[in-house]
Amino acid sequence: MIRSSIKMAISILLAIFFLGPILWVLWGSVRYGDASFSFQNFSSLFIYGEGISTYIRNTLIVVIITVTGSVIVSLFAGYALDRIKFKGSKLLFIGILSILMVPHASLLIPLFIWLNKLHLGNSLIGLSFVMIMYQLPFSVFMMRNSFESVPKELDEAAMIDGCSRLGIIFKVLMPAVRPGIITVGLFAFLAAWNEFITALILLNDGSKFTIPLMLVNLVRGDFGSVDFGALQAGIVISAAPCVALFFILQRYFVGGFSAGAIKG
Amino acid sequence: MATANPNVLSRKNSMRPSRPKRGFRSTGIGWLFSAPAVVVLLFFFIVPLGYSVVMSTKDWPLLGPDYPTNFPTNYTQISENELFLNSLFFTVKYTAIISVILISLSLGLALLVQEGKQRASGILRTIYFLPVVTGLSTAALLFLGFLNPTIGPMTRILNLFGMDPDWLGTPNLALTSTVLMMTWRFAGFYMVIMLSGLQAIPRDIYESAAVDGANRINTFRYITAPLMKSTFSLCLILILTGGMVAFEQFYILTGGGPDNSTVTIVMTIFREAFSQFEMGSAAAMSVVLLIALVMMNILQLRLVRKDESGDTR
Amino acid sequence: MNRTSKMRRLTASGVAMLLVGGLLATAPANAADPITLTMWTRSVTAVQSQDMVNAYNLANKGKVEIKLTVVPFTEYLAKVSAAAAAKNLPDILAANVIDGPNYTRSGLWLNIDKRIKKLPYWDELATGHMASALYQRKYYAVPHVVDASSIYYNKVLFEKAGLDPNKPPTTLNQMATMAAKISALGGGVDGLYFPGNCGGCLAFTLFPSIWAQGSRVLKINGDGSFLGSVKAKKVFNVYSKMWKAGTMAAGSKNEAGATQNAVFQSGNAGFALLGSKALGTIKESDKLKIGLVALSGPDGGTSTFVGGDTIGISSTSKNPDAAWDFLQWTLEDKQQIDIYASKNFMTSRRDLSENKFALADPRMVLLNKLLVNGQSPYAPRFFQTFNDANGPWILFIREAIFGNGVSNELLAKLNASLAG
Repeated sequence: MIRSSIKMAISILLAIFFLGPILWVLWGSVRYGDASFSFQNFSSLFIYGEGISTYIRNTLIVVIITVTGSVIVSLFAGYALDRIKFKGSKLLFIGILSILMVPHASLLIPLFIWLNKLHLGNSLIGLSFVMIMYQLPFSVFMMRNSFESVPKELDEAAMIDGCSRLGIIFKVLMPAVRPGIITVGLFAFLAAWNEFITALILLNDGSKFTIPLMLVNLVRGDFGSVDFGALQAGIVISAAPCVALFFILQRYFVGGFSAGAIKG
Repeated sequence: MATANPNVLSRKNSMRPSRPKRGFRSTGIGWLFSAPAVVVLLFFFIVPLGYSVVMSTKDWPLLGPDYPTNFPTNYTQISENELFLNSLFFTVKYTAIISVILISLSLGLALLVQEGKQRASGILRTIYFLPVVTGLSTAALLFLGFLNPTIGPMTRILNLFGMDPDWLGTPNLALTSTVLMMTWRFAGFYMVIMLSGLQAIPRDIYESAAVDGANRINTFRYITAPLMKSTFSLCLILILTGGMVAFEQFYILTGGGPDNSTVTIVMTIFREAFSQFEMGSAAAMSVVLLIALVMMNILQLRLVRKDESGDTR
Repeated sequence: MNRTSKMRRLTASGVAMLLVGGLLATAPANAADPITLTMWTRSVTAVQSQDMVNAYNLANKGKVEIKLTVVPFTEYLAKVSAAAAAKNLPDILAANVIDGPNYTRSGLWLNIDKRIKKLPYWDELATGHMASALYQRKYYAVPHVVDASSIYYNKVLFEKAGLDPNKPPTTLNQMATMAAKISALGGGVDGLYFPGNCGGCLAFTLFPSIWAQGSRVLKINGDGSFLGSVKAKKVFNVYSKMWKAGTMAAGSKNEAGATQNAVFQSGNAGFALLGSKALGTIKESDKLKIGLVALSGPDGGTSTFVGGDTIGISSTSKNPDAAWDFLQWTLEDKQQIDIYASKNFMTSRRDLSENKFALADPRMVLLNKLLVNGQSPYAPRFFQTFNDANGPWILFIREAIFGNGVSNELLAKLNASLAG
């Protein structure tokens, strides 16, 4: 009893910490000048530039390619790095991790020059590939861990049954690594949805801009002054789909699978 | 699988995916499966990085008719860059603080909400995760307003308790504000990674541990912690390298202030490139940083690996 | 006037079409294909740029289309640098006035000296803008948007503090006295909100008080400063005293620019030092009625920092003639009056500043008057020295106002940075 009420108290205190700024955002987003409740901040988002539907469409293109690409790339690489012993695997892993160690700011100019040579400059597809690259260390590490926690006996049994490697991955291991896939996909979604500086440098054309670019243009004024009402409305609008997505996906992260269920 | 074995510890070993066992020796197939990752790595990272290395050997202004080679000037000049040298210590200090806080808090959060049964856990999970959906620069801007004494609520609330912190005004408080913002923004992120790690631990291990009368601390120490090792390793690498390349959080929230007390390594690189227009020199600084971080991470992976083999073999 | 300008525009675009046709000799020159021009501007001038582009596109339908991309101003230079390195600049490229020297020296812009000097009103173009676009005695850009710094005050707080809202301060010392009265109101109200950690803002708002005393801030060729002079110190002292007396809001010391408009908008500050564009973005309310007055010297005199943007044709543009047609079109009387002046934006030409719209709004009259003795400082390394958040100016000025006064050591570093 005491233990659970202590736990409850801690949970609530933490909830206040995480919710506090969010509540301030909600409150601020509906205030405008003298009005204590107004949708004026939101309406300015909808009429900006090319219209919000263009920015949503562009962002969705980047998000879909990034999520799909990240999942495919890391599923196979994660499998290889955990299940197959091969020469150079350590080097590959360190190579992938080293992506984390180069500041994006110093890659931007080379990326811009190089993507132009590949004819991927000023394109949403080019941007998406860069996003897959940014996510690569996390995605691959995550999937390697996911495969690592699935007992080897599963593969061996399937192998004896005459299953191919691809068959093993998709039919046998997939259900067990699903939380890993969901995590990789979710984080790829968030990264692509929110990316600002890379999108800004790589995209030249205002009609190809994504939501974060639009928001920053809208929110920041002279000498960096911020229109907080618009910022808060922007946060509400751009965060809503992410929150909904997490709410739907969260059951995949929840504690402890039953080993028996998978084996059977 | 090992339900007949009453010993929790030995069962843990049998569940452990032990590396020596995965024996498919096949270099070709390994690279074939890694091919998509290799293509992304090569085309979108290694090649641009190569450009960057070339830039680091040149005098590269904003736009020039040509970029003359000046190697090794860009590298030797680093040791004269006062801001860069001062930023080293600060960045390490920040990384140490944020690592301890994020690892322990996110693990705590994950343990707190991992039971999926109650509706309350689901809501709490979502609440803790909420800040993660904001972009990092957006979160930093938001805190700028939130902590501002005139337009934000924070100072007024603390005033009620007789406190009046000058959030961004002193070096320590500027660092504290940033750590607070980063904790707010990232704890839920690492909580999810921890949750996926916890999720991979079969439920029946806990059940039999409970049958064996193991208390919470022992369960955590002998089951959860060892089985979470690769999850910790992932989080640690993300947080440590993330800390060492910290940029936006300080760039927006403190601007490196007050009086250059919160300047990070990457801020000095960014400044070199986009305030001083010395692209070559900025590239040289990133190359040095990359080499240092790769060494740090190889060391860290070695330590984790060694520990692991000692544990399982 | 209108007819001739239209004629001129037609001829110019005709010439442009011919030239383009010649350049693309392999492709059959199809007169029906409109020329597409790309243009980048900073987010702070988005409204003005967009209005100009829309009107131009409408007037040139089927012939020329300008595609405008608005780039967040904080990342503008980063974006331009990347594009410059890849030789992938847009046709038309705008720049913050103070960055002009960086652009000209790096060869980002095309030399348009001859074209500019053919304009009948070329010597009426905003002086500071033109100076920043001058390199080796040739002009590379024209004014695009004109901005000027001034003192904003809150008439609501003036009344509460027993001050006459129609009698704003005419000297910096008067402002300090009035701010003290407002600050004495208490209840979260402060006298002055000051951008104490924003280098660009402080140059924008402190230099005019030095100029107002008839003194220079920078050496003529911009490779050094007079910021250690007695007159400069007098200005810093006024603010330093306000800080020590608590008349300045506590948040001032940390203000890096992001929250300053929001704080003034909240109605809790008596004074703020802002640019003319804030007039269009800050919303008035019960707690805030905005008044404007010139930035003054400690004991009188007025001046302003003429900021804003210049615009030029990029050196890699394939359509310089069509691009020039747009640039000169934006400077014509009709556009300046109908598009800028009618919306309370300042005109790019001095000879148009006393237009019917400006005369109707006392605040615009004031801003336009200020332009006459306003200045734009010229220094090749202005951005690197003054706008850099970790640069020498911000350390120097913070020590001068919040610390122990002017430090000769920090001043030496600042001058070394200007000298390059």
